[in-house]
Amino acid sequence: MDSVHDLGGRQGFGPIDTGESDEPFHAPWEARLLGIVRAMSRPAGWTIDRFRFVRESIDPADYLTRRYYDQWLQTYAALMIDSGIATVAELASGKAAGKPEGLAPPMSADAVTKAKRAMIRFDRPSDATARFAVGDAVVTLRNGAPGHTRLPQYARGRTGRVEHDHGAHVLPDRNVDGEGYAEPLYTVSFAATELWPDAKGRDDRVYLDLWESYLAPA
Amino acid sequence: MAHDDPHHFEDIHQALHRHLPSEPALRVKALESLLIEKGMLDPKAVDAWISVYTEEIGPKRGATMVAKAWLDPDFRARLLADGTAAISELGFEGWAGAHFKVVENTPAIHNMVVCTLCSCYPHAVLGIPPNWYKTAAYRARAVRDPRGVLAEFGEIIPDNVAIRVWDSTSELRYMVLPERPPGTEGWSEDDLASLVTRNAMIGTERTLRPAGQGRR
Repeated sequence: MDSVHDLGGRQGFGPIDTGESDEPFHAPWEARLLGIVRAMSRPAGWTIDRFRFVRESIDPADYLTRRYYDQWLQTYAALMIDSGIATVAELASGKAAGKPEGLAPPMSADAVTKAKRAMIRFDRPSDATARFAVGDAVVTLRNGAPGHTRLPQYARGRTGRVEHDHGAHVLPDRNVDGEGYAEPLYTVSFAATELWPDAKGRDDRVYLDLWESYLAPA
Repeated sequence: MAHDDPHHFEDIHQALHRHLPSEPALRVKALESLLIEKGMLDPKAVDAWISVYTEEIGPKRGATMVAKAWLDPDFRARLLADGTAAISELGFEGWAGAHFKVVENTPAIHNMVVCTLCSCYPHAVLGIPPNWYKTAAYRARAVRDPRGVLAEFGEIIPDNVAIRVWDSTSELRYMVLPERPPGTEGWSEDDLASLVTRNAMIGTERTLRPAGQGRR
């Protein structure tokens, strides 16, 4: 979706705050929220791509001005409402009017010892023949998908070079609804001057991981 | 989409904007209370996760990988060929570590990592990302003006060094293997690891220096 989250290459943003402290969290509520989202019970349908799509739907003014973990909070709140787990009134008051059914019990502190080592894979076995080979020239779609997609606007309709073939990975566009459909994923590089004619580094390149349906032969 | 109404989630967000408490800390407090009442959260597990990401899992893991790669050419080859296997080899398994790729700086190439679409980060080896990594400014500028961004971090990249910017658009997660600084011959793994900054592994710092010879 062509919302404000797709920030790559947008101009008008000021300098980076390079002087912040090395602390992982900059306010107690940020640490608390991170801990909550790692520990809370959740329905099976809350895939990483559903989370991203719902975050992308935040009002553009809020998206650009609210801190990162505050956006996470609102995304989880929206997911809870969408899944029928909570109401706006409950989230506003912190008081439960009812309990959801069918969710696993919450993670215990002891279970964190195992959960902190968990690694979720997104590659899938596939018989599909890769359409492109390393070294091939490819051109990206001119338009993005209407829902969630991982082809940024700055890399649309551009010609690049296939650098790696990663085999089949779950396609984010269709994983928003938990479909789990997978297709070949490639790392594709683009000359900075192909993306932006005024790029300063004439030999600089930008590398993106792109799914096969985002690409056509150049 | 699961919903016929294209504005389904926008409507939910606007209702939340209108009705949730005005301060983030109060919003988080209300969420935590609600989840506990609904039987969806054990606050002791929240404490445990905070402890994991403040005391245990952080950029020291990545720095250990870098120092090992500097000292052991075989490990370096394994790390560059299959970063995920290297994570398992060192017992560094964790969040967003399943598809891990390490990209190598050389005298002619500088690598830099960003996620323009959200804020993807290799948490298993670098922990919690710095706030600047998650800001709109870094996400917008890293791909289009990497040399300008690097200059703000104090790095002037010569014209004969090509920059490779890695935009983390899939579940692959990237980390930069910086060059070993001169003057560190004979150093131990721990001493070498202490030179490796988080920013060097994101790629917003290029020139590492032995302690006392420049900025951190």
